[in-house]
Amino acid sequence: MRLQVCVLGIILSFGAGMAGAQSSTASAKATAGDAEAMPPELKALIDPDTAEVLRRINGLSPYETPDLRLRQDTVYANTPVDYEPFGAIKPYKEFFLKQIEYTGPGRAIPEPGPDLKSVKIGLIGPIMSTVSVATGGKSHEEVLGIKMLEGAKLAIEEWNARGGYFRHHIPFEMDTRNDNGLWGASGNEIINMAYKNEDWAILGTIDGANSHIAIRVALKAEIVMMNTGDTDPTFIETNIPWVMRCIGDDRQMGYLLMDYVLRKMKYSRIGIIRASNRYGRFGVREVNDAARRMQHPVIIEMAYRLGSADFSLQLERMKEANLDAVIHWGDAAEGALVLNQMRKMGMNQPFFASDRSVSPEFVKTAGANAEGVICGYPWNPDHKDPKLDQFRAAFRKRFNAEPDTYAAHAYDGMNMLIWAIQVAGLNRAKIRDVLAYRTKPWPGVTHDIPFGASLDDLGEVFLAKFENGAWHYHSREDMNIPHGYIPARDRVNRATGEIDPMNPPPQK
Amino acid sequence: MRIVAIIGLAGALSGLLAAAEPVKLPYVYTKWKQFTVADGLPNDHIFAVKADGPRVWIGTEDGLAMLDKRTGKIKSWGEKDGLPWKVITAIDVDKKTGDVWLGLFGGGLSRFSGGRFDHWHQLNSGLVNDVVYGVAVQDEYIWAATTAGASRFNTVTGEWAIFTEKNSPMEEIWNYSVAVGNGKVYLGVWGSGMLEYDLATGRWKDYLDPDGEMEIDLYRDDGIVHVIVTGASPANDVVWISTYFGACRYDGRHWRGYYNQDSGLASDFINNVKGRSADEAWFATDKGASAVTDFKTNTWVTYTRDTKGKGGQAVVMRDRDVLETVGMPVGIPHNFVINYDIDGNDVWVATAKGLGWGIGEGYYPGLKERPKTVAKTMPKGDVR
Repeated sequence: MRLQVCVLGIILSFGAGMAGAQSSTASAKATAGDAEAMPPELKALIDPDTAEVLRRINGLSPYETPDLRLRQDTVYANTPVDYEPFGAIKPYKEFFLKQIEYTGPGRAIPEPGPDLKSVKIGLIGPIMSTVSVATGGKSHEEVLGIKMLEGAKLAIEEWNARGGYFRHHIPFEMDTRNDNGLWGASGNEIINMAYKNEDWAILGTIDGANSHIAIRVALKAEIVMMNTGDTDPTFIETNIPWVMRCIGDDRQMGYLLMDYVLRKMKYSRIGIIRASNRYGRFGVREVNDAARRMQHPVIIEMAYRLGSADFSLQLERMKEANLDAVIHWGDAAEGALVLNQMRKMGMNQPFFASDRSVSPEFVKTAGANAEGVICGYPWNPDHKDPKLDQFRAAFRKRFNAEPDTYAAHAYDGMNMLIWAIQVAGLNRAKIRDVLAYRTKPWPGVTHDIPFGASLDDLGEVFLAKFENGAWHYHSREDMNIPHGYIPARDRVNRATGEIDPMNPPPQK
Repeated sequence: MRIVAIIGLAGALSGLLAAAEPVKLPYVYTKWKQFTVADGLPNDHIFAVKADGPRVWIGTEDGLAMLDKRTGKIKSWGEKDGLPWKVITAIDVDKKTGDVWLGLFGGGLSRFSGGRFDHWHQLNSGLVNDVVYGVAVQDEYIWAATTAGASRFNTVTGEWAIFTEKNSPMEEIWNYSVAVGNGKVYLGVWGSGMLEYDLATGRWKDYLDPDGEMEIDLYRDDGIVHVIVTGASPANDVVWISTYFGACRYDGRHWRGYYNQDSGLASDFINNVKGRSADEAWFATDKGASAVTDFKTNTWVTYTRDTKGKGGQAVVMRDRDVLETVGMPVGIPHNFVINYDIDGNDVWVATAKGLGWGIGEGYYPGLKERPKTVAKTMPKGDVR
C-alpha cells in the first residue's frame, strides 16, 4: 500500500541528457577525487542514486544549478477528488506539484578548514517551560519537546559512537535551543544557529506558529530545517526549498479520520471541539473541508482556551446539536477532560481525536472513558521492524523510558540529517540536495519515509483505537476504510507550461 | 463576384499594412556593472540595496557597504565599526535628515547617522521582534516589518506602536515587507496577504486570497494570488505585489495576476518587487530579474546571467511570445535576485552573489518603435 502510494505520487528521475549537462567534466573530476579520499564507512552510506546526485552537485560554479529532474506529484498530498477544493472547477494554478529548486550559489561554498572541532546540528523545540504569547500563554508542549530532544540525542550519540563525522573524525554536537520564549523567539534562535553558532542543519519544531517563524529565517539564512513534530499542513505549503518534514501531517491524518467517519461509519452530524491555538485551528481545517465537500458540513465547532478544565460552555451547545460524532483537536490533557465531561453530561457519541491524545496522560485521565476512542496517527508503532526494536531497546537503555512518537520521529529526522551531512560534506546546499533529490524512501524506524514534491512525508498514516486497555494501530486496509478516487493525471503539465528564462523558445 | 474581389483586395491590403507596422518594444538594459567582494563589498550575498543620490547603500550578509557612484569606490562597516549586527535585510533613507535606517536580520533596527550606529531591539524598545525583514521611512515615523508583527517608531517623540493580530487584521503576524506610498503603508505578510494602512484615517484593510486555499489559485485576476506575500511596492496609483507563488498588480479596483505560465516572469518564486510606475515593476525571482515594462500589453523583459563568464541575456516577451533576445557582455551578477532599487533611469539589482548596476542610458518608459534586435544570445560556455 505504502509503495503504491509512493509510486503513484512521485515521479523522480535523473535528468540525463537534459540541457544542463554543463558541468559534467568538472563534477566527474571532483567526485572521482572525492571518492578516492572517502573512508570506507562513508562509502558504505552512498547508494548509486546518491552517488549520481553527488556527481551532479559537486564541482558546480556559483552560477550553475544541478542537472537533476525535480520531483513531480500527480496529485497534491494524495487528495481524493471529492476532497479537492472547488472540485468541480479546474483551478487556474495548482501549487506544490513540482519540487521547488534551490538556485542560489551555495553549492560552491568551500568546506571549512581542518580546525573544526565538531559538526554542529541545531535542535529547536519546546524544551523549557515558559510563558509565551506566541503559543497561547503558558507553554504546554515541553512533554513533547523533551521526547523530541531525547530521540535526536540518541541518534547523535549513536553516530558519534561509530566515529562521528567520517571525513574529519570529529564528533557531531547538538546545539539545543528553546523555541517558546518571547514573541518570535524561534526566529532569533535560528539566527543564532545559522549565523553565530554555524550549525549545518536544524531539526525542529513542534508548535505551528514557531515553526513558521523558524522556516522563514531558515529560507533567508539558507539552512535545512527538518521537521519531525509539527503536523500543521501549512508548514510545508510555503514553497521553501530548505524545509522538509518526516512525519505525516494533519491533512493526511484528517483525510483518513474523515474517510472512517464519513465513508465507513456514515456519520453525518459531526461536531468539533478544539484548542484555541494554531494547532487546533489549522488541524481541523481538512476535517472541516472534507465534511463540507462530502455534503455533511460540520454542525458546530467550539474552541476553548488552552489550559481549560471546564468545557460546559462548549459541550452544552454541542449536546443540543444532536451530533453523531465528536472530534477533538488539541492536547491530550484537555482531550481527556473534554471526553470525561461529555460522558458525565450523557453525551455518548463516538469520540475521535488528533494524534496528541494517543498518550499515557490521556488514558490516565480518561480512565474507562478512553475505551473506543479513535485518533489519527502518523505511524504504526506496532509494526514489526528490527530497526524499531533496536531503537526502542537503545532508547530504554539510554533514558530509562519508552520512546513516544516525538522521540521516534526525531530519531528518524536526525538520522536523515546526519546521513546527509556525511555524504554531502559540510555544505548546507549540498546537505539539502542529497535529501531533496533522494530517490528512495528513507528507511526510518517509524516507517519508510517517501518525500513528495513539497518534501513532505507522504507515507501511510493510521488510526489508533483504544481497545481493551491499550492503543491498537490500524491501517486503512485493516479497518476496510473506503478511499475516495485519486485520479493519476498529470497536473503539472496540464497547465499552459512554464518557460525557462535561460532557454526561451525561439522569438517570433 | 465583384464583392468577393473587393473583400479579397481589402484583406490583402490590411495584411500588407500589418506586416509594415513598426514594432514597439520596451527599453532593454544592456550596460551592466557587477560588484562583488573583489570590488570591496564585505560579502556577496546582498539582501538590500537603496540608492541615495550619489550614494548606494548595500545591506549584505556580513556588513553594510556604501558605493559612491561618482568614484566607484566602496566603503564598508561591520560589527567592529559599531554596526549592531552584521546581517542587513532592509534599508531606507530619511530624505529629510539623511539618516540611514537598517533592518537587521536578528539584530533589530539601527540608525546610521553622522558616522554612528544607534540600536533598537526588542529588549530596549517597542520593536516587536529582532528579526526585521523590512524598514520604511514615513515622515517622522520608521516602520519595521518583523517576524512577529510590525512596529512604528516616532523619531520625534520616541513613542512606539506595535501592530499585531490584536489591533490589525493580521491573521498571521509574520511580516515580510513594508513600503510607503499613495498615502498608505503597505505590509507584505507571510500567511496574511497584503495589509494596507491608510495614513489619513488610521484604518487597516487586508487583502487575502479569495479562494482561501494554499494549494490552488482558483481564478486569475480575482484578487491577490496567494497569502504568502514577500513584497508590496506602491507606484503611482497602483501597488505591485510579489509572493512565492506568482505576482500581481492592484489598482484599487482591478487585480491582475502573473505566473511564469502566462507572462515573462522567470519564476513564480519571487523574493521581492519594486514598482517603478503603474506600468513597470521589477520582480526579484530565483531565476532572474523579471520586469513587466508595459502593463497594458503584458510586455516583459527578463535578465539572466550566463553560467560561464560575466555575460548575460535579456529576453523580451509579450504574453508568452518571445519578441526579442538580447545578449550582452556583462549581465546581472546572479540569477537568484533578492532586492532592487530604481535610481532615476538606472536600476540596482541585489543578488545572492553580487550587486548589479543597470545603466539606463536612453531609458524610456513603456514601448517605443525601434528595430528589433536580432537574436544574438552568447553561446554557452563563452567566457568574456
